[in-house]
Amino acid sequence: MTKISTVSIIDDDPITIFGITKMLNALDCCDHIETYMNGEQAIRAIRDQIKSQEDIPEVIFLDINMPIMDGWQFLEEFIALKISQTIRINIVTSSIDPVDRQNWEDFKNRTHHQIEFMNKPMTRDEVALITEAVKQS
Amino acid sequence: MLQGTPTTAANYLIKQLPKATAFINTKFEVVYVSDRWITDFDFGKRNVLGKSIFDLFDTVSDDLKDLLESCLIGSGGDSGVERFTDRSQKERWFEWTNIPWFDDRENIIGIIIQAEEVTQRVLQAEKLRKLELLLQNKSEVAGIGSWEYDTFRQTLHWCPTIKKIKGVADDYIPTAESAIEFYKEGFSRNTIAMAVENAKKNGTPWHEKLEMTTADGRDIWVIAAGKPLYRDGKYIGLLGTLQEITDHVNSENKIKESESLLRTVIDNLPLNLYIKDIDSRKTLVNRSECEYLGVSDPNEILGKSDHELYDKEVADISRQEDLAVMRSLTPIYGKETLNVTPNGNATTFLTSKIPLIGNDGRATGLMGISLDISNLKKQESELRNLINVTSLQNKKLVNFAHIVSHNLRSHTANFSMLLDFLKDEKDEAEKDNILRMLIAASNNLLETLENLNEVVSINTNVNLDKKPVKLYEKANTIVDSLSGFLKDSDAKIQNLISPDQKVKVVPAYLDSILMNFITNAVKYRDPSRIPVITLSTEKTNNFTVLSISDNGLGIDLKRYGEKLFGMYKTFHENDEARGIGLYITKNQVEAMGGFITTSSEVGKGTTFKIHFNDKD
Repeated sequence: MTKISTVSIIDDDPITIFGITKMLNALDCCDHIETYMNGEQAIRAIRDQIKSQEDIPEVIFLDINMPIMDGWQFLEEFIALKISQTIRINIVTSSIDPVDRQNWEDFKNRTHHQIEFMNKPMTRDEVALITEAVKQS
Repeated sequence: MLQGTPTTAANYLIKQLPKATAFINTKFEVVYVSDRWITDFDFGKRNVLGKSIFDLFDTVSDDLKDLLESCLIGSGGDSGVERFTDRSQKERWFEWTNIPWFDDRENIIGIIIQAEEVTQRVLQAEKLRKLELLLQNKSEVAGIGSWEYDTFRQTLHWCPTIKKIKGVADDYIPTAESAIEFYKEGFSRNTIAMAVENAKKNGTPWHEKLEMTTADGRDIWVIAAGKPLYRDGKYIGLLGTLQEITDHVNSENKIKESESLLRTVIDNLPLNLYIKDIDSRKTLVNRSECEYLGVSDPNEILGKSDHELYDKEVADISRQEDLAVMRSLTPIYGKETLNVTPNGNATTFLTSKIPLIGNDGRATGLMGISLDISNLKKQESELRNLINVTSLQNKKLVNFAHIVSHNLRSHTANFSMLLDFLKDEKDEAEKDNILRMLIAASNNLLETLENLNEVVSINTNVNLDKKPVKLYEKANTIVDSLSGFLKDSDAKIQNLISPDQKVKVVPAYLDSILMNFITNAVKYRDPSRIPVITLSTEKTNNFTVLSISDNGLGIDLKRYGEKLFGMYKTFHENDEARGIGLYITKNQVEAMGGFITTSSEVGKGTTFKIHFNDKD
């Protein structure tokens, strides 16, 4: 069983970042974990990775409500990038606003990337399910 | 020659008699005639002597024949009127007088006939008879009776028509007193008595509409007219007419009643009602229409067109409608129209226009009915405003519910995750770490709850006590209280607010608003220049606008405009950004009936314009 090379966590809440990181480490499923406090930082980093032909994250945990650039704005820019492989993006939010679910449906139909929608808190089992699926693909 | 024939001298005498005279013998042959006889009967040169009188007058009546024959046997002095047609076919009338002709021995030897022309008299008598007949007919047909009072003989004569009107028998003999008593006691009887007295004394005629009770007990209306008669300037009596007009009066009263009923109905309708002629001039208006046009007397409106009563634009439209209705003969029902009177009062009406059609099938005008629905319209618009406000508030509430839910969930999610970790954690150092995070999360939750509480209290405080506050002084007070904070960043405040400018605000909210905008302007300053914050005011309709301009970093409004005043939205990588200040500020301004507009340019600065509502 191989490991996932890079997982990216984009969230302005340090506790969420701590939690997901801790779960990923416990599962020992990936080589790298990158964390960003908002969408702007994340998209900048991914653009740099593409430019320098480094590995881009295979799995992204994405918060919606963030300062500077929120999750939707990040997605808008991310799906516009030329990435041939299918990236698994997990939207993780505590929002129950139907508008957010509608946005998710819209994005799913506009890209070849796999986008999932889940509510906080994430559980270890959920994280395991995601990483297993990616490893086997 | 007959026995006892008079002499030639006698013959000559007879010839000269002044009247038409003929002597005829027992065989009715003419013996002597006067010249007048020849000329009166138009014989001309025709020889009449010796001719039978019956041959000379071919139209002699049997009466005259009998008369002449009886004259021969001694009766005399009888006369009769005979018709005679002369040679020009003119009809003439003569009165014949016959006496026996005696000889000296008292023997009847013939007849002496005298004739006198009475054509004029006969024709006049005939004319009079015709006139009387005509009068009687007229009287019967028109129901107008006549009467005459002879003051000398103190007799009163009624024609049959009057007797019929008064319901008395044909042989009834009226007197002046009984005639007056037919009139109803009171006004009618007094009036007629006065009229008769005046006529006698002053010679004035009368013509009165009065009530009387007939002999058979009917109450009737009559027109009684009369005038005095004079002969040689001396009063000799009275002459007059009487006409029954009960039916006329009754129908007149009925018409008056229905007119008054109709008038009551149209005047009390809660509608404006009018009738216009073919030139759109008003010919009838009801009370509502008068009140609408601000007049007490309908005559101030009658005869006027819409152009004299309304604004030109409105009058033009109305006239076009009138013409269309009258041309097509098709009514307009319940059309919403706007009327503006010359003094500028606008009223919304529900107008109907119905064409009035004459006997020739063409429109003679129209009837207009207008229902004032201005109040309804106003209520409708108030209701619509209320719905807008309510739906806006509803939207805000749903939005707020999402914010609350989101904030509470994000914290509880953290709690549950951290507790889950803690449960299985063996490493003591990691346990401490997790515990620290739990405490931080708990503090965050408390702060969030406080913030939400503040927002709720702003939005639920419906009885806001707005007071006029001097803005200039207030701004200075806030700047003073922030002096330490401002000094640290060398910030300059330019207070350009007019010292007298007042705004109606909740003082605590104004403090919070000023504090927030000024600290924000300093927080997001451009590190390359000294922060300068300028405060100024201007007036717009119903609003006093406070402008707060800075020369800070600026915000990309295209990107963040929608979220600028959202809760927990921050736009700069700034540790001091909490994302709550502008959200609360916005809620406070809106709770006071105001709003905020923003203009900004990245790298130049930002201007917030706070619109304070001047109304309570």
